[in-house]
Amino acid sequence: MHFDIELTAREDIPKWMGYATPVVTVLVALAVSAVAFVALGVSPISAYEAMFVSTLTTEFGLRETVIRAVPLALAGLAVYLPMKAQLWNIGAEGQLLIGATVGTWVGLNVALPAVALLPLMLVCAGVAGAAWAAVPAWLRARWNINEIITTLLLTFVAVDVKNFLVRGPMQAPTGSFAQTEILPANAQLPTLPWFNVHAGILVALAVVVVISLLINHTRLGYQITFIGANHQAAAQAGMNKRAVYVFVLVVGGALAGLAGISEISGVQTRLRAFFEPGYGYTAIPIALLGRNGAFRVLLAALFFAVIFVGGSSMGVTLGVPAAIVDVIQALIILFLITAEFFKSYSIDMTLRRRTDRPNTGRVGGDT
Amino acid sequence: MDESPFLRMEGIYKEFPGAVANDHVDLTVRRGEVHGLLGENGAGKSTLMKILYGLYTADEGEIYLDGERLNLESPQDAIEVGIGMVHQHFMLIPRLSVAKNVVLGMREPADVFRDAPEVTGGDGAAGGGGGLLASLGTNRLLRTLASRFTLGLNGPETEIRRLADEYGFDVDVSATVRELDVGERQRVEILKALYRDVDLLVLDEPTAVLTPTEADRLFETLRRLTEQGLSIIFITHKLNEVEAITDRVTVLRDGHRVGTVETADVTRDDLARMMVGRDVLFEIDRSPAAIGDPVLDATAVHATDERGVEALSGIDLTVRAGEVVGVAGVSGNGQRELAEVTVGVRAPSAGDISIDGTDMTGQSPRAYVDNGVSFVPEDRHEYGCAGDLSLMHNAVMKEFPDGRFGDGLRFDYDAVKQYAERLVEEFDVRGVHDTEDVVANDLSGGNLQKFILAREIHRDPDLLVANQPTRGVDVGAIEFLRKRLLDQREQGTGVLLLSENLDEIFDLSDRILVIYEGEIVHETTPEKGDRERIGLEMNGASVDADGAETASEPDEQVPPVRAPPDHRRTAE
Repeated sequence: MHFDIELTAREDIPKWMGYATPVVTVLVALAVSAVAFVALGVSPISAYEAMFVSTLTTEFGLRETVIRAVPLALAGLAVYLPMKAQLWNIGAEGQLLIGATVGTWVGLNVALPAVALLPLMLVCAGVAGAAWAAVPAWLRARWNINEIITTLLLTFVAVDVKNFLVRGPMQAPTGSFAQTEILPANAQLPTLPWFNVHAGILVALAVVVVISLLINHTRLGYQITFIGANHQAAAQAGMNKRAVYVFVLVVGGALAGLAGISEISGVQTRLRAFFEPGYGYTAIPIALLGRNGAFRVLLAALFFAVIFVGGSSMGVTLGVPAAIVDVIQALIILFLITAEFFKSYSIDMTLRRRTDRPNTGRVGGDT
Repeated sequence: MDESPFLRMEGIYKEFPGAVANDHVDLTVRRGEVHGLLGENGAGKSTLMKILYGLYTADEGEIYLDGERLNLESPQDAIEVGIGMVHQHFMLIPRLSVAKNVVLGMREPADVFRDAPEVTGGDGAAGGGGGLLASLGTNRLLRTLASRFTLGLNGPETEIRRLADEYGFDVDVSATVRELDVGERQRVEILKALYRDVDLLVLDEPTAVLTPTEADRLFETLRRLTEQGLSIIFITHKLNEVEAITDRVTVLRDGHRVGTVETADVTRDDLARMMVGRDVLFEIDRSPAAIGDPVLDATAVHATDERGVEALSGIDLTVRAGEVVGVAGVSGNGQRELAEVTVGVRAPSAGDISIDGTDMTGQSPRAYVDNGVSFVPEDRHEYGCAGDLSLMHNAVMKEFPDGRFGDGLRFDYDAVKQYAERLVEEFDVRGVHDTEDVVANDLSGGNLQKFILAREIHRDPDLLVANQPTRGVDVGAIEFLRKRLLDQREQGTGVLLLSENLDEIFDLSDRILVIYEGEIVHETTPEKGDRERIGLEMNGASVDADGAETASEPDEQVPPVRAPPDHRRTAE
């Protein structure tokens, strides 16, 4: 018996694959994660029921999901926008932390009414995140230094800057915890009258709309898309690659900064030294899942929010370690990468005996 | 040559979703012949050969080799029965030596682990010839493993050297492939096939990557191979190559076999008619140009290539409105850098460039574009378009700032789409059902080139720089592209045409320059120009012979600008 697997490069990728990939990826990741549940002695069905059904059917679950989706969507867009120009902002986490830190400082130290203070905090957090991303942006645009490395490494710097400030200059004088004072009421994002969600959701929705318009209906968006598709042809055509590189990374940094401050001002109410939410990292699979549009990024953010919220409530009800959420997240990334492979290759599997050779059974599309 | 068929492909039928690539095609190849397979892009040549090489399975039809029916399911099957293929894009690993590339994919265990060890002591760790290794060599399990996972190159290297000598290949088998030029790499590909002991060799557009000189060498090699009894299928869409090398030729059009003829019995016109299905004009009607002011002035331009090596060493060049200046030369003599410098993509390291009388030295590519400079780059996919984006996106790659496509921040994709559709229609770009849906990579080479030229010409530029505009493009499209270039000249555009194809240079140019090692070494006109002389100049003959460029002096007396004659000129 002979078992052969042959890979053939696809000449064109079927249209439906573009739409099916994110969905199939998620389903396969969940299916494989079931193994972990079984190993833990928990029925995967009841686990997923706890994770999805109870999260999506209770008001509490829905509200938590939306609240969690706010920073995830903003951070997701912080990765998505540079990705459009074929740049990888791996350091959204760092930009988010810097934004959170600077925004918190403004909230604690500037005395203004809420209508002025909240926008000021958002702007300062955005500017701080942008400044943090501007360094890798400039290095990339001017000297072609790999932004994957620089954005990632700057995250560790950001973590330490935040730790230093929260344990030092910004530490609350009362008590010995490594945390700041609680933000005054006028520096906390108000809760919306309906649904009990903080106003950060409005910011996130507005940003999704703006980014979507930017990419799909402006000249700048056209240039970003084109440079992302072929930067050499773009340069030949006279597009300003450097400016676009700086723009997408800096705006991405600003969005991550917004994610940081909306989480502090809307949810945490104070900056703790332990605040390392990992949203900036989860933003990467979110951007990958939603790379075909800003609204899909929002959908992907909501999905991850469900997993996070459902994962922790599942931890309580079923006694499953919340780390299972990380497993699912990692599997999604793995399967996304695998899906890329299946998009580019079709696979032939042949089962034959040595004597006769039946025809190949085809899996996947034609080449 | 043996008259009886060596290979017979009968009634080959292959359908792809939405298209029949081969519609009951027959092909017979005799032993020891070079059989041309001629057709436009998309005629079904490659599909037919992929079926022969086991990459595709035919829906219908049979293949016989030497009278025996073949059932090919993979390239391995094809190689086993003695069919080899040299792909257009080389399948070599640059880091590895020639010998390693040749044996790649085969089992060549180290000498001690061979079933019948001829030599003891191989190379590297597996060799050494010591007693321990020898005794290990007798362990059955180990032998089985080792015969799969060790590599010995002594035997193969000798064999490859023998093959190379036998066929007169001048290739150093221990060199790394990276060090070889394109022609040598192609010979390595052929060696790879020969090493697998093939009787039938398929060459897929082998000259596409070669300079004319290298192509001549390839033809010599092929002749030597056929003398040894090898049969060769030569895929091409170039008529002069069919004439130069093939014994018989089979012409395909739209998946059908149009016919098989003895090359000696037909003319180029016959072949072109078979291939395109109508008469093709090789002669182009040219009217005298109305030559105007200089649109491009380059003075003492120097430039370096990617590695920082000087590629242009003092080029003086003027192109006037309404004339075509042809730059002939063997690829790699600075054409690419010259083209890029004149359109602002590459900054000159010294010298000045002015466009329409304005000094543009050091300006951005955008400034050049805005000043009416258009560019058809040598590499369509790398610089000419964004392959994964739709034609709609690609259509306005240069024109996007224009107010027609929306005002202020807004970008009006509806207007862009209309524009793209106009380009597609006016330039007869085929295979486009929807400019929003079809991406640039979906187009065949000829159609993509038409599209790119459309984009560059539609702007009605003052200067159009075209580098190898018809390379790798089929005859029908070449005719169209050349005609459009000349039309544009009549519209008063100055055209700088860089081409390795002398026919093209002679057909289109008003003045001819020869570039060699980054310098213009010769200037002439199509009327006065002597092909042989130009050929020599392209290879640096005059420079090498006297150590100076004295030989090119007489022709430089020709005034740089003169009206071309108004007669028809025929390509040879």
